[in-house]
Amino acid sequence: MCVALQLASEHGGRVIGAAPTNGVPAARAHALVKVYGRGQASVRALDGVDVEFERGRFTAVMGPSGSGKSTLMHCLAGLDAPTEGSAFVGDHELSQLDDQALTRLRRDQIGFVFQAFNLIPTLSAAENITLPIDLAGGRLDRGWFDQLTESLGIADRLSHRPSELSGGQQQRVACARALISHPELVFADEPTGNLDSTASAGLLGFLRAAVADHGQSIVMVTHDPSTAAYADRVVFLADGRLVDELSAPTAEAVLERMKQLAS
Amino acid sequence: MRRVVVRGMFARKLRLTLTALAIVLGVTFVTGTLVLTDTLNKTFDSIVGTAYAHVSFEIRGATTLKGVGATSPDSTATRGTIPASILGSVRRLPGVAFAYGSVSGYAQFIARNGSSIGNGRALGYSFDPNPQLSSLRLVEGRAPTTANAVVMDRSTADKYRFKAGDHVRVLLPGAPQTFTITGIVTFGNDNSLAGATLAGFYLPTAQRLFDSAGRYDAIYVLAAPGSDDVALQRAITRVLPPGIQVVSGQAIQSDLKQTIQNALSFLSDALLVFAFIALFVGAFTIANTFSITIGQRTRELALLRLVGASRRQVFGSVLGEAALTGLIAAAVGLGLGVLAALGLRALLGAFGIVLPSSSLVFEARTPIVALAVGVGVTVLAAVFPARRAVRIPPVAALGDRTGEAAASTGRRLITGMALTLVGIVLVAAGVAKPAIAYVGIGALALFLATAILSPVIAAPLAGSLGRPLARLLGTAGRLGRQNSMRNPRRTAQTAGALTIGLALVSAVAVLGASLSATAKQEVDSAVNADYVISGSGGGGISHTLPAIIARLPFVTATTAVYGGQFDFEDSLSHLGAVSTTGLDRTVNLHITHGSAAPALAAGELLIDSTTAADKHLHVGSVVGVTFARTGSTTIRIGGIYKPNPLAGSYIVGASYFLAHFDHPLVGAVLFSVRDRAPGVAAVLDRAKATYPNLQIQTRAQFQASQQNSVNQLLGLIYVLLALAVIVALIGIVNTLLLSVFERTREIGLLRAVGMRRRQVRTMIRSEAVIVATFGALVGIVVGGALGVALSSALRTSGITTISVPVTSLIAFLVVAALLGLGAATWPARRAAGLDVLGAIATE
Ligand SMILES: Nc1ncnc2c1ncn2[C@@H]1O[C@H](COP(=O)(O)OP(=O)(O)OP(=O)(O)O)[C@@H](O)[C@H]1O
Ligand SMILES: [Mg+2]
Repeated sequence: MCVALQLASEHGGRVIGAAPTNGVPAARAHALVKVYGRGQASVRALDGVDVEFERGRFTAVMGPSGSGKSTLMHCLAGLDAPTEGSAFVGDHELSQLDDQALTRLRRDQIGFVFQAFNLIPTLSAAENITLPIDLAGGRLDRGWFDQLTESLGIADRLSHRPSELSGGQQQRVACARALISHPELVFADEPTGNLDSTASAGLLGFLRAAVADHGQSIVMVTHDPSTAAYADRVVFLADGRLVDELSAPTAEAVLERMKQLAS
Repeated sequence: MRRVVVRGMFARKLRLTLTALAIVLGVTFVTGTLVLTDTLNKTFDSIVGTAYAHVSFEIRGATTLKGVGATSPDSTATRGTIPASILGSVRRLPGVAFAYGSVSGYAQFIARNGSSIGNGRALGYSFDPNPQLSSLRLVEGRAPTTANAVVMDRSTADKYRFKAGDHVRVLLPGAPQTFTITGIVTFGNDNSLAGATLAGFYLPTAQRLFDSAGRYDAIYVLAAPGSDDVALQRAITRVLPPGIQVVSGQAIQSDLKQTIQNALSFLSDALLVFAFIALFVGAFTIANTFSITIGQRTRELALLRLVGASRRQVFGSVLGEAALTGLIAAAVGLGLGVLAALGLRALLGAFGIVLPSSSLVFEARTPIVALAVGVGVTVLAAVFPARRAVRIPPVAALGDRTGEAAASTGRRLITGMALTLVGIVLVAAGVAKPAIAYVGIGALALFLATAILSPVIAAPLAGSLGRPLARLLGTAGRLGRQNSMRNPRRTAQTAGALTIGLALVSAVAVLGASLSATAKQEVDSAVNADYVISGSGGGGISHTLPAIIARLPFVTATTAVYGGQFDFEDSLSHLGAVSTTGLDRTVNLHITHGSAAPALAAGELLIDSTTAADKHLHVGSVVGVTFARTGSTTIRIGGIYKPNPLAGSYIVGASYFLAHFDHPLVGAVLFSVRDRAPGVAAVLDRAKATYPNLQIQTRAQFQASQQNSVNQLLGLIYVLLALAVIVALIGIVNTLLLSVFERTREIGLLRAVGMRRRQVRTMIRSEAVIVATFGALVGIVVGGALGVALSSALRTSGITTISVPVTSLIAFLVVAALLGLGAATWPARRAAGLDVLGAIATE
C-alpha cells in the first residue's frame, strides 16, 4: 500500500476516495508519548495516548491549556515525531515514512486549518486554495473548487490577497485549501479561535456539512464547548492523557463534563 | 520558545558576520594597498639610499627642457652628456677626495640556452672599482679592466649559473658581443637592483659600447672628510662649463625618493579606487541589512519607544550596532590586509607589473586608516536606516504591521526622472564636446537616478524577468517570483550592489573592446609593413639591426622608429622619428596637408591634425623646439596627418632625430618583403638567434599583440572589480538569509501543506536568480551605455572605433544569474532545513 501510494502520488493521482479501507480509522494514536526537553526541564506533553479518529466523523479534542492537544495533532499529522508509541494516518505508520513521504502525505491526504497565519501573503485567495494541488503538479477538480468556494461564500474574493480579506474570510479560504485535494483527514487547531460567533458558526457549519455530505473526516482542537458541540464526538485530554470522551455532544453536556474534569 | 530565542540569536550572529564580511573585504583591500605601497616605498628608498650612500656631489648635464625639474633624475632621456675633460679639473680641486666619471646604457645578458635574460630593466654601466664611492660591491673575482671583461650581478649569476671565468654574450646598443665574466657584484647588500640585471664594464669599454667616447653621463664626487660642502659645491661650479651642473647627493636622494613616491602614489591611488568601489558596494549591503532588520524589529523598537526610549536613544542604538560591526570588520580586514598585500603583489606580477619583494612594512597610519574607513563606511551606511527606525511611532508596537512602509512612488519617479534627464544631457554634452569630465558627472547622476528609480521598476521588471522562470519551475518558481516582487525596495537595494559592480564591469568591457578595436584599426590604417620588430621585455633594439634587415635580399623597404622627449613650444612632449626611405611601403601616415617622406627628409616636422587645430598651426608654420643635447632651435611644419596613437603627435626624420639625441635606442623596425619570397622565416629565425630579445612579428601578429596588451589590462581591471561583485553577492546571501528568517512561518506553512524540500530550495533560488538578473541587467544596460559614451568622448584621445562586446555583455548576465543561483545555496538549504513544526510555532 505504501509503495502504491507513493507511485500514485508521483503520477499526480490521489489515492484518497479511490479505495477507502473500511474499518481502518482515519487516524490513530497508540501509546503515544511526547517528551519535550531533557532532564529536569523536560515536559511530558503526551503521556501515553491511545485514541482513534473514525472515518467520516467530526471529532473535537478538548482540554485545558497545555494539556497536549496541539502536540497530539502535530504528531498525528506528521509535523512532529513522537518520543514513544506510534501514530497512524490510515494504514501508514508515520515513523516509517521519510521526510519526502511525509511531505507527500501531508500534501495529498491531510488538510490543515490553523488558528491564524494560514495563508501565503503573496498568493491570491484562489492560489492559496489550490496550493497543495499546484505543489503536487496535479490537476485541479474545477467543480469541487467552485462548489467549495460557493458554499464558503468566498467566490467573489478569489483574486484578493490575504491582507485584503477579513479574518473570517481568511479562515474560510484556509478551509477551502484544506479540503481541495479531498484529503483523508482534516486537522483544525482552534480554527475559530480568532473569529466572532457569527463567523465561527458559518465556518463550523461548513465543516459539519463536509462531514455529512462528503464523508469527510475531521479532527478539531478547541477550547469552546459550543464549538465542540458541532462535532460527532469529543475527546478530553488532561496532562497529556486521554481522560474522557462524549458522543453526540451538546454545549451544555460538554461544559458539564469539563467542570467535572476540572474538579 | 527557547528554540525560537536561540534561533533568533543565531540569525543575528550570522547577520553580524555577513554584514561585517562586506566591509572586511573592502578594508582588506585598503590595508593591502597601503602595506604594499609602503613596502615598495621603503624598498625603493633603501635602493636610492644605497646608490647614493657615498656620493657627495653629482655633476651632470643641466636639462634645458621645460617639463623637467632642475634636479630631475632621468638623466639619459632628458639631459646631454658631459665632456670627460671636466673630470681632471674636478679631481684637482682641494676638498675632493675622489671623483670618477660614469656612463650607462642598455646591456642585456643572453643565457646559455640562447634566450635573453630579464624582463625588467637590463642596465649596463661603467664599473668603478673604488669601493669608497660605488654602491656596487665586488663579492667574487676582480673588476673588469680589459675590453672584453664584464661583471655580473649575483642574482643573475645564481639564477643562470654563471661564475667568474665564464663567457657570456651581451646584447648592446650596437652589435652583440661576447665577454668574459671577471667578477660578481652586489648592489649594496642586495643581489640585484630591484629586479634589474647589471652588467659592469671597464670604463673605456663602456664609453665605446654606449656611444660616449670622451664623454660621461655623470661624474660622482666624494668630498674629503671635514671639507665644507657649500664651499666645495661653489668651487666645483666654478670649474664647470655652462650647461653643466653640480647637485648634492642629498638633493638627488630626496629628489629621487620624491619621484618614486609620486609614481607609487599613482599605483596606490589606482588600487584604492577599486578598494573604495568595493567599500561603496559594501555600504549598499550594510544599508540594506540594517533596513531589513529594522523593518523586522519595528515592534521591538516601537515597544522601546512606548516604554520611554527617546528618539536619540533609538538612533544611537542602531548606529552603535553599526559602529561595533564596522570595528570588528575593520580589525579582521586589517589582519587579512597583510595577506592581501602579498596577493596584490602576485596579482600585479601575473599581469606583468613586476615589483621587488622584501619584508612587509606596516606603518602606523595603516591601522588608523583601516579602522576609520571600516567604522566610517558602516556607520554612514546605517544612518538612513537609523533615521527610519527613529520615525517608527510608539503605537506601532500595538499593530502587527512588520515589513517596511512603501516609499512615495510619485516623488521617487519625479526625482529619478529629473536626475536621469540631467545625466543624459551631461553625458550627451560630454560626448559632443568631447569632454570626459561631463561624461563622468553625468554618469554619477545616472547612477544616482538608477538607485532612486530602481525600487519603482523593481517589481515590474523582476516580475517580467521571473515569468519564464515561474512557467518553467511551477509553483515554487512562481512563489520565488512573487517573493522577489513583494518588497521592491529590498529587491532594488540588494540588486543595487550588483548593479554598480556590473555597470563598472560593462563600462570597462565596452571601453576595452573599443580600445582593442581601435588598436586593430590603428595597425590596419597605419602599418603597411609585413613585419614589425620590437624589443621584448624592456630591452632595446641594437642600432645595427635596421641596416642588417635592409640588406636582406627579400626586403623591399625598412623603417627604423625612434622615440624621445623634447620641448614643443615649451611643453615636454614625445617625439617620434622614422627613417624616410621607402616610408610609404612600411607606414601610412594619412597626410591631410603637406607631405610625409619629402618633408621628413628635408628636416621638417609632421604633426597630427588635433595638435594642429589645438595650436592653430598649419603647413609652413615655424615653431620653437628644445632638445636636451642641442638646446633650442626652430623647425618648419612640413605636414599634417590624421591622429593615430601608434604614431604619436610629433614626427621627424631619423637623421634629424639622431643629430639631436645622445645614443638613442631603436624602438621598432618595420619592413616589407617581396611577395612569396622564399626563406624569410629561416632568415628571421637566424636574426632572432643573434638578437634573442627581439620580437619579430608579422603584421597580423603585431596587431594581435597590440590587442592583447589591451586585453591584459582589461583582465587586471576585471580581477580588481571582481571584489565589488563578490561583495554584492554577499549582499544577496545576506538579504536572502534575512528574508528566510523573516518568512520562517510562511515557509513552515508551505511545508505543512505539502511543499517538498526541493521545492523550497527552488523557491529561494528562483528569487535569487531573479534579483541577480535584475541587478545585472540594469547594470549592464547603464554601464554599457556609459561605456559607449565614454569611448566616444575619448575619440580625440585615441579611441577611434567604438565596439560593443555583445557576447561578453550577455555572458556577464548569464554569469550573474548563475552567481545569484550560487548565492542562494546556503539560504535555500537553511529554508529547506527549517523544521516544519518549529516554523509554525514561531511567535
Ligand atoms: N517545542 C516545545 N518545547 C518544549 N515544550 C513544549 C513545546 N511545545 C509544547 N510544549 C509543552 O508541551 C505541553 C503541551 O503543549 P500543547 O501545545 O500541546 O498544549 P495545548 O493543549 O495545545 O495548549 P493550548 O490550549 O494552550 O494551545 C505544554 O506544557 C507545552 O509547554
Ligand atoms: Mg494548542
